[in-house]
Amino acid sequence: MRKNIVVTGYGIISANEITPIENLDLEDFPFPVGEIKLTNDDLKCNLNIPIEKQIGRTTLLGISALRQAAENADVSDKTPGRKILISGTTAGEMDLTEKYWQDINNHADVMLHHDCGSCTERIAEGLGFINECTTISTACSSGANAILEAAEMLEADNADIVFAGGAEALTKFHLTGFASLMILDREVCRPFADNRAGLNLGEGAAFLVMETEQHAINRGAKILCYFAGGGNACDAFHQTASSPDGDGAYLAMNNALINANVTPDAIQYVNAHGTGTVNNDASEMAALKRIFGNKMPIIESTKSITGHTTSAAGAIEAVICIQKLQQNCKLQNVMDNSFGFGGNDTSLIFSRCKSESNADCYNNDIETEVVAKYELTNEDEIAEIKEFLKPSEYRRMGKILRSSLLTSIKALKQCNITVPDAIITATTLGCWENSEKILDHLTEPQPTLFMQSTHNTIGSNTAIYLKCHGYNTTYVQGSDSFKRAMRKAELLIKSGKCNNVLVGLHNETTQRYRDIMHLAGRDGLQPLISLSVVVKRKNQ
Amino acid sequence: MENLISELKQRIIEALSLEEVKPEDIDSNAPLFGDGLGLDSIDALELIVVLEKYYGIKLNDAAQSKAIFKSVATMADYISKNRTK
Repeated sequence: MRKNIVVTGYGIISANEITPIENLDLEDFPFPVGEIKLTNDDLKCNLNIPIEKQIGRTTLLGISALRQAAENADVSDKTPGRKILISGTTAGEMDLTEKYWQDINNHADVMLHHDCGSCTERIAEGLGFINECTTISTACSSGANAILEAAEMLEADNADIVFAGGAEALTKFHLTGFASLMILDREVCRPFADNRAGLNLGEGAAFLVMETEQHAINRGAKILCYFAGGGNACDAFHQTASSPDGDGAYLAMNNALINANVTPDAIQYVNAHGTGTVNNDASEMAALKRIFGNKMPIIESTKSITGHTTSAAGAIEAVICIQKLQQNCKLQNVMDNSFGFGGNDTSLIFSRCKSESNADCYNNDIETEVVAKYELTNEDEIAEIKEFLKPSEYRRMGKILRSSLLTSIKALKQCNITVPDAIITATTLGCWENSEKILDHLTEPQPTLFMQSTHNTIGSNTAIYLKCHGYNTTYVQGSDSFKRAMRKAELLIKSGKCNNVLVGLHNETTQRYRDIMHLAGRDGLQPLISLSVVVKRKNQ
Repeated sequence: MENLISELKQRIIEALSLEEVKPEDIDSNAPLFGDGLGLDSIDALELIVVLEKYYGIKLNDAAQSKAIFKSVATMADYISKNRTK
């Protein structure tokens, strides 16, 4: 029997209306946002953090939500057990990087906290008793993937209490980036409406406190609801567009239903991804129709209230789902959809009552082995990508996208696998070369670069080429990223979700980045690391 | 117009990193999107950037660009009528 996972608390900070931007100095920016009307100094004050301490807004929002969650679930430093934090973010402390970028050599220390993993570690420090941090960065589904991972970690007995969610502050980097994609609405967004004209970006953070039912009972915690199950799939269609039939969204919802062992008619409410863009809403509605047919539950998008909080969205909307369960006793099962760039799609199901599910039951007796390994030894090798791809396919790919795809193809060839069951990526900075170019010309539209600036661009690029719709996620935890990715491969195989997993470690730096890091006292960074391995279930 | 068309072909190749394509490979009247060069929605956004950067034309709605970007000829025609630089 699979362990029952429960939610025993949550913390949330978000906007509750769409307004013109105030806290970021973006002159004449015509698009309204879901902005929390507290300055960074206000947030520091509320958190008892010295005003002079340099700390990014994502981190401040994260600490606010995390402390609330711990208090709500009655978890403190005195609570026994292994307590971990799984947080989704993409912007991290980009607000500080972009603020100092033009004079970064004199503010090199800022770059020590630029990577998303560092942001999560600083959020954890703000609570004070976290034993391990994991950062997931799958763009707009990051928060949902963090919650799904929390359940997987608890089922595998890898933790006693998990804080899982996401945090994202508004930054010029992604505001101008989304503007360059021409998908921002000048008015309050209208998800699923015929006259919808785009999305409103937002900011916020939310964390759930999750544990096994037994653990919650043992420590006398109040159970708010059950985490019934979740599904992760990749649309494998395009870096920024969703497929017309919503393949990834359909698979994510279907996997979640199987994982939770409930039928579509048992779902009464869906908090949709519903961004308000023409493309997302059409694709998601097509997928919803495939799942629910003519028996549609209540479909709602709350993004016209909070804005699209990107990496935090899955977690903020999970809290809204749980509040719905608490407030409306007619609801039994609710669904939370979150879809990201690259087609990283995730769906979660929360329930009032415990479910009896044996789907994807974790089995520690299943053994795994590495059956293939390919590492790029020389940057000149990257040109070999031309043997596998047409010029029109690789024309937009930067160095790391080409190298990661090449090593993936070569590793898969070694073990005769055409399409792996899952693609798990580890990276510290993602497509840093692109991010650096965007930072240099922050106010100019650079759609291609922005589309390829998120960390999950690497894993979804591989999925698009391989047409791999399987589980797809990305870890950004500094030098621990690869360890997290390998652990995930093992989790997926031992829970029976996959038989084989493609795992990649892909890092790129530029000379400029290495020079800045040298000034900050960190040396020995490699220009490029691209390693792909295939992990497989051992035959009994 | 001929000059604008050949200039435009060069700018399209640069903006969309069409390394393997030569200006003479692009038929001025052939569809830019769909099967032709294999362009997609992101390429359309890059072409919108080209309109603004080189010809001072600002489009606020990506859907508006569909008719303009039908072919190099329609693009040149639109630019010649609306350019501010």
